[in-house]
Amino acid sequence: MPPPRTREGRGHRDHHRTFREEEEPERWDWNLPETRRLFEDAYFRDDDYIRQGSEECQKFWSFFERLQRFQNLKTDRKEEKDPEAPKHSIPALADLPRTYDPRYRINLSVLSPDMRRSRERGQRLPPKSVSEFRWALLHYLDFGQKQAFGRLAKLQRERAALPIAQYGKRILQTLEGHQVVVVAGDTGCGKSTQVPQYLLAAGFSHVACTQPRRIACISLAKRVGFESLSQYGSKVGYQIRFESTRSSATKIVFLTVGLLLRQIQREPDLPQYQVLIVDEVHERHLHNDFLLGVLRRLLPRRPDLKVVLMSATINITLFSSYFGGAPVVQVPGRLFPITVVYQPPPEVEPTTAKSEKLDPQPFLRVLETIDHKYPPEERGDLLVFLSGMAEISTVLEAAQTYATHTQRWVVLPLHSTLSVADQDKVFDMAPPGVRKCILSTNIAETSVTIDGIRFVVDSGKVKEMSYDPQAKLQRLQEFWISQASAEQRKGRAGRTGPGVCFRLYAESDYDAFAPYPIPEIRRVALDALVLQMKSMNVGDPRTFPFIEPPPTASLETAILYLRDQGALDSTEALTPIGSLLAQLPVDVVIGKMLILGSMFRLAEPVLTMAAALSVQSPFTRSAQSNPEYAAARRPLESDQGDPFTLFNVFNTWVQVKSERSRNSRKWCRRRGIEEHRLYEMANLRRQFKDLLEDHGLLAGAQTRRPGDSYSRLRQRRERQALYQLKRQHEEGGGRRRKVLRLQEEQEGGSSEEDGASASRAASDGGVDIQDVKFKLRHNLEQLQAAASSAEDLTRDQMVLLKLVLGRGVYPQLAIPDPFNSGRKDSDQIFHTQTKQGTVLHPTSVFASSPEVLHPQDPESRAGDRSREDKDKMSSKHQLLTFVSLLETNKPYLVNCVRVPALQSLLLFSRSLDTNGDCSRLVADGWLELQLADTENAVRLLAAALRLRAHWEQALDQQLARCTRPRLEDDDEEAPTVDRKVVAALSRDLLQFTASKVPYSLRRLTGLEVQNLYVGPQTITSAPSLPNLFGSSTLSPHPTKGGYTVTDFLTYNCLTSDTDLYSDCLRTFWTCPHCGLHMPFTPLERIAHENTCPDAPQGSPPGAEEAAEPLKKTSALQRPYHCETCGKAFLFTPTEVLKHQKQHV
Amino acid sequence: MACEAERRPLGVFECQLCALSAPYSYVGQKPPDTRSVVLLEESYVLKDPFTADRNKFLVLGSRCSVCSRLVCVGPECSLFYSKRFCLPCVRENIDAFPREIQRDVEKRKMPAKMPCSKPRSPT
Repeated sequence: MPPPRTREGRGHRDHHRTFREEEEPERWDWNLPETRRLFEDAYFRDDDYIRQGSEECQKFWSFFERLQRFQNLKTDRKEEKDPEAPKHSIPALADLPRTYDPRYRINLSVLSPDMRRSRERGQRLPPKSVSEFRWALLHYLDFGQKQAFGRLAKLQRERAALPIAQYGKRILQTLEGHQVVVVAGDTGCGKSTQVPQYLLAAGFSHVACTQPRRIACISLAKRVGFESLSQYGSKVGYQIRFESTRSSATKIVFLTVGLLLRQIQREPDLPQYQVLIVDEVHERHLHNDFLLGVLRRLLPRRPDLKVVLMSATINITLFSSYFGGAPVVQVPGRLFPITVVYQPPPEVEPTTAKSEKLDPQPFLRVLETIDHKYPPEERGDLLVFLSGMAEISTVLEAAQTYATHTQRWVVLPLHSTLSVADQDKVFDMAPPGVRKCILSTNIAETSVTIDGIRFVVDSGKVKEMSYDPQAKLQRLQEFWISQASAEQRKGRAGRTGPGVCFRLYAESDYDAFAPYPIPEIRRVALDALVLQMKSMNVGDPRTFPFIEPPPTASLETAILYLRDQGALDSTEALTPIGSLLAQLPVDVVIGKMLILGSMFRLAEPVLTMAAALSVQSPFTRSAQSNPEYAAARRPLESDQGDPFTLFNVFNTWVQVKSERSRNSRKWCRRRGIEEHRLYEMANLRRQFKDLLEDHGLLAGAQTRRPGDSYSRLRQRRERQALYQLKRQHEEGGGRRRKVLRLQEEQEGGSSEEDGASASRAASDGGVDIQDVKFKLRHNLEQLQAAASSAEDLTRDQMVLLKLVLGRGVYPQLAIPDPFNSGRKDSDQIFHTQTKQGTVLHPTSVFASSPEVLHPQDPESRAGDRSREDKDKMSSKHQLLTFVSLLETNKPYLVNCVRVPALQSLLLFSRSLDTNGDCSRLVADGWLELQLADTENAVRLLAAALRLRAHWEQALDQQLARCTRPRLEDDDEEAPTVDRKVVAALSRDLLQFTASKVPYSLRRLTGLEVQNLYVGPQTITSAPSLPNLFGSSTLSPHPTKGGYTVTDFLTYNCLTSDTDLYSDCLRTFWTCPHCGLHMPFTPLERIAHENTCPDAPQGSPPGAEEAAEPLKKTSALQRPYHCETCGKAFLFTPTEVLKHQKQHV
Repeated sequence: MACEAERRPLGVFECQLCALSAPYSYVGQKPPDTRSVVLLEESYVLKDPFTADRNKFLVLGSRCSVCSRLVCVGPECSLFYSKRFCLPCVRENIDAFPREIQRDVEKRKMPAKMPCSKPRSPT
């Protein structure tokens, strides 16, 4: 027993218990909670090493039990007396205890309670039990020390064993003499984790390290924090779009390239950093390429700034020479030898037409080969690179059949649209004798690293988004990969041991591959980049010194597009709307929606929709085939369109979250909704909101907290509890690797997350950490208020919302095919201006109920069933607006909203052409509208002109406000655009949209488009209608013929054979305002109305009739005819008095 | 209460046998922020980096009572038997130790040459 250092257990007082160990030792029961509590009270107090009730306390007791069991096993340890040895000559050895006791091997001691405190405790504890307890406690502490030191030593060993460890000094030395250093090393050499630490160790304290992906920022910050032994200090932090762990103590921060660019935008000289590490430059991301250009210009201005470019060993000279021959430190990767097997599939006759679908046979053959050649006890998993999701599911199906048969494989898909839980599965372990077969897109090439891969199958193909800016079309196309990618894929087989790479193509194919992948800047739309360049004042994008310049054509297209969208003016300078858009991290189209929405005081719903449209669809793929999900989801669907469905989903989810008793995770799962996307929406929504507030487009958040001091206290407590939960979760280390079940794959691959995440939740102690983080980040009350107000969206607000959406996404419109009403639901076709025969995305609400798109007027339903929709005169023709067009195996319209055709085209078209009497209109040169009634046509046209002008004006005011620098405290009232102006505009827009005018709608044929215009006329007879469209003066259009009315409207330029006499047909008409009675053509009549001196001013004439019901805002209003001015009004009694005063 | 400054690294501990190195924040027998535990030797101590609990510490090593070499507590470098001894000294004076220690030392490996003992230098 331990040498008695302190005296314990004096005095056995007779309280409720008496412990006389000599008499009743067997009654001392360590398992009794009361017994334990006695010791806990004495030894595990608040300022002790272990605290009562903590997790550690539980750990101790289970350690205690194990120790007791262990000691019972070897009862009666033989006290070995060493033979008397002579006293040692070395003093340190002379006084060693001669009788061995394990206690002497522990280098620490626990102070007993009564040494620290004045008695009272520990007194009624029997000495034997006390020493038993202390003995266990010492062992426990010693064990903890050994464990922690073991971890530390292992960590240091691993760090030192990394290939880059040999190069640390050289990198630092090179950096001393040069401003820019290129560190080139392959995956696994450790550059991303180690170089930042070398810099820290060398004394740098303001280090930024950029990453192309957000996820890498988080994981690297964690890893580097851990390795630099400051995991819970704050030396290492990260900063991404929605999260930051950065503090004043942070010495190194991992951040995304986009974020760094924004910091440069604010402070062009980046004074906050000493060293900048740009990681993964070889990936040639758009923003990375741009950043390099920005840095090259910055370096002369910041001679003290050091830059480390980190790259795989790909094309290193490109980077080195771009920075004037920067020195390169090349680090060899750590790869085991990999055998390459070329296995091109046998030539198939090209006549077999079904080349569309991938043949899974070559992949199965590899599985068989592995099963035959390698015994199952030799571990090692298989990673298969496929070009896309469709290919993955094809091979998945076949491989699973094989796996069920052999019981030797667990097949798992891996791509970016999988749920997070399913993605995580690839890191789990297969049971003994079973291999994982991971079917992946190129995501596993660089972004995701999976340990234990021994075999790689490379299909040699990749699908990449290519972008056609003219068609606003994203196209997912399949390409051969580059040699660099092929090598990268191969390398994945040799990370943990020698490996094999099966290439499903010929060596000659490989030789023909391009050496490197095409940089992003050469294949994507550059609108966002150009916008950012403009807002960063880097000058003309055409002359910017890119490392490799983008194609001139795509630059020009981007500039043109931005001018079209009103983000750049005619001198290519940033407009107010442009500078705002540059700060919104979204598509220009969605940015515009936000601005428009805030103007109409629809900010809350528009924020949600804009956020919803900016993240991936929350609907999981498996849900499409699951009728239960579909049924559960139905109440959330809106037949107005997909953004409205997403809007409902988000709002209902927020409601579920705010109800304490309900579990939002379960709610999502039952509906086939990926909750992660909803969290993303919430984050994005808040970011949008902050931006709008910053720019004065939205009144600032209510800073005053509602409620009394009690509820404030309660809220603070709740938050504290949440923080506590979050901390606990973080200490728990998150997810652990699990062993996969063999049956798992029979249940259908990717959809069975239920069980997995449920058990995960249980292991987390039931804490949904996402939920905790969400509640910490967002003001749930505010969100809930916004969500419940969404339920009360009036019909009018709904119509305005659709207008905002429509104007935002214009010209992304599709027209239903005229034969759709006779087709099956799944066969509905739509045409855009540039793309014929597009279809609805299967997740779209219209895919299941396309009938809401068919123009079925009750009046026209009677007889003419036979007529096609295109000839149908109806006031209910509709178009589909869509947010994006995605081409995979078919061109899909994504995120559609149905809008009234005539009104939308009149309000949004970039070009509107008319015939002589305006009964025939052509919008943007591809959609023809034929109105039955000229008078209606002209009225609507004139109303549209006016509305567009008013709308533009209001928008300009709104934007002028937000670009004005905001002074502190000048926004008490924050009047954006004059409330009255907006209210009037909203009312007029509603009236306009509600107008019911029968018309036909069709898409022009190619031939018609070619012969659309009369062309420039030699004799230009000036039209006798100077005031047809307000005060605009008409000038002949140089190419179309006819007359330019506004920048979008050209009058009478359409070729036609029916309008020869249209201007001659006059009928008698009496002006209701001035009483004039004479023959008029319809156009002359409208011209007169516009200029009639007695006509009431203000609202557009076209909307007058429909205006009645809306105008009755006050029940007190009565028609009033003023004797003095002869005008008719709707006035309340007080208004009558006011009016009469004017004439006095 | 220990203030922030006390926990800042005082220097870098480096084992003279295996070259393991780590920053230490305290030297002595009474680690800061810890009341109930005392150390029985003058130790180089680091706040336990693997837990958020601020009163948890980690002993990195101390000096050998025979040769005064600074050694880590790793089983390949040293042992504690009422005092700290580096393994070379234990081996040299193996007879001075009780049989249990002798047996234990026989089981241990020789001090690891790889990889930490290799000084990190550019090649």
